[in-house]
Amino acid sequence: MIPAQADSQAPLVSLSGVSLTYPNGVRALAPASLSVRAGEFVSVIGPSGCGKSTLLRLAAGLLLPAEGAVARSPGCRPAFVFQSPTLMPWASVSRNVALPLELEKVPMAEVRKRVEEALHRVGLSEFGDALPRELSGGMQMRASIARALVTQPRLLLMDEPFGALDEITRARLDRELLRLWHARTLGVLFVTHSLYEAVFLSTRILVMSPRPGRIAAELVVDEPAPREEDFRVSPRFARLCAHLQDEMTRAGAE
Amino acid sequence: MNGRPAALIAPALVGLAVLGLWQSAVTLFEVPPWLVPGPVLVARTLVADAGLLLGALAVTLAIALAALACAVALGVALAFLFVQSRAIEASLLPYAVLLQVTPIVAIAPLIIIWVREPLPALVICATIVALFPMVSNTTLGLKSVDPGLLDLFRLHGATRWQVLTRLRVPSALPYFFAGLRVSSGLALIGAVVAEFVAGTGGTASGLAYQILMAGLQLNIPRLFAALVLITATGVALYGLTSLAAWLALRRWHESARG
Repeated sequence: MIPAQADSQAPLVSLSGVSLTYPNGVRALAPASLSVRAGEFVSVIGPSGCGKSTLLRLAAGLLLPAEGAVARSPGCRPAFVFQSPTLMPWASVSRNVALPLELEKVPMAEVRKRVEEALHRVGLSEFGDALPRELSGGMQMRASIARALVTQPRLLLMDEPFGALDEITRARLDRELLRLWHARTLGVLFVTHSLYEAVFLSTRILVMSPRPGRIAAELVVDEPAPREEDFRVSPRFARLCAHLQDEMTRAGAE
Repeated sequence: MNGRPAALIAPALVGLAVLGLWQSAVTLFEVPPWLVPGPVLVARTLVADAGLLLGALAVTLAIALAALACAVALGVALAFLFVQSRAIEASLLPYAVLLQVTPIVAIAPLIIIWVREPLPALVICATIVALFPMVSNTTLGLKSVDPGLLDLFRLHGATRWQVLTRLRVPSALPYFFAGLRVSSGLALIGAVVAEFVAGTGGTASGLAYQILMAGLQLNIPRLFAALVLITATGVALYGLTSLAAWLALRRWHESARG
C-alpha cells in the first residue's frame, strides 16, 4: 500500500498538448491535455473513433505523441484494462493474474501471495485453477481487473472495460470497481461511451469531440463516495446526465 | 475426437463392401493375379512376405521419421528467425517457396549424386518435401498473437525472449500441430518418392524398392501388399500426430474440443 504522500496533489499522469496523426494521414487526435491525480476517477467520453483509446494508449506509454508531452509521476507504472478480458487462453486464471509480476521478476513467494490477494479482492478466490474459457464474460473481466491490481498500481487505465457485458453484470462491476478505487486511492482514467456509466463512476468527466478528437468540455461530479444504486435513480443523477448530454451535443458528439 | 459409433461403423461397412465387391469381381471374371490380385491374396502375401516387407517398412519409416524430425527442427528454427525481423522473412521466404514448388523427383538425382551416402541423401530429399508446412504454419502461428496481450507484455517491460517463450510459442502451438499433421504424411511420401528416384542408387532395402522390384518381376500381389503397408503407415502417422495435438491442446484450444 502506498501511504498518502506529501505530493499527492501532483498528477500521476499528465498529457499536455498531445496530438497524433496515423501513418495514413488520418489525424487521430487534435492537441489534447488532461491529467489524473491520486484519488481521482476521470472518465473520457465521446463518439467512436474520436481518439479516446488513443489518449489512453498515450497515457500508458504504448504510443508516443507526435507533438506534446506525456509525464508520469516517478515510479508510476500504470496498469491497463482492455476492452476485452485479453487473458491467455492456455493459462489458468492464477497464471494470468501472476503474469505482470512474473514479467517484472518478482520473487515466487511474493507472486503467490499477491495473486491470492488480488483474486480475493475481485471475488475469484475459488477460480484460480480454472481456465479463462471456463468463466463467464463478467468473471473473465474480473480476472482481467485482478491482473491489473496485482502490481498494486497507483494509476489504472481502463478502455471501455465493461462495454461487451450485459447491463446487470455491468452495473455490478461498476459498483465493485468503485469500491476498489475508493479503498486504495487509485487514480483512474476510464474510457467509456456510456453516459450513465460515466456519471455513476466519475469524479470528473471529459467530453471529446469527433475526430480529430479534442477535449471539448469538462464536468465535475460532486457526489461523495460510497455511491450505491440509489444514486443511479436520484434526481441529481438525472440532472448530471442531462447536463452531460447537453455538453456532448454541443461538442458534436451526438 | 468424437467417438460416435456410427462415425466408425459407416466407413467400415463401406470398406468391407468395396473389398467384397473387389474379391467377387476378381473371382467371377477370373482376373489373373499378375493383373489385379484379390484382397484375400494380398492379405495372404502380406503374411507370407511379412519378414521381407516389415524389414523394408522399417527402413522407409526410419527415413520418414528422421526427415520429419529434421523438418520440425529446421522449420521451427526458420520460423523463429522469420518472426525476428520482417527483413529476414522477406529475404528468405521466397526461397522456402522455391523449395516447395520444385518437384522433388527433379532434384533428388542431384542430391543422391552429391551426397554419396544413400541414407542421408534420402533423408534430405524427404526433409525438403516435409519442410514447408512446418515453416509456414509455425511462422503464421508465432505472428498470430492477441495484440492486446502483446501490449500487456510491453507495458510490463517484457523482454523479447519473454514475449517469444511466454506469448508467441503458446499462441503458435495449434498452428504448429496443424503443420505437423501435414508434414508427417509428406515425410512418408517424400521418403517413398526419393527411394523410387534413387532406385538401386538408394539403400536398396526400403518399401519403395520392394514395390519397384515387385513391379519388375510382375509380383503384383507383393506390390499391393507393400502399398497397403505404406498407406497404413501414413494413416498411423496422421493418427499419432492428431493424438499429440489433442493431448497438447485439449484443455484450451477449440480445435481439440470437438
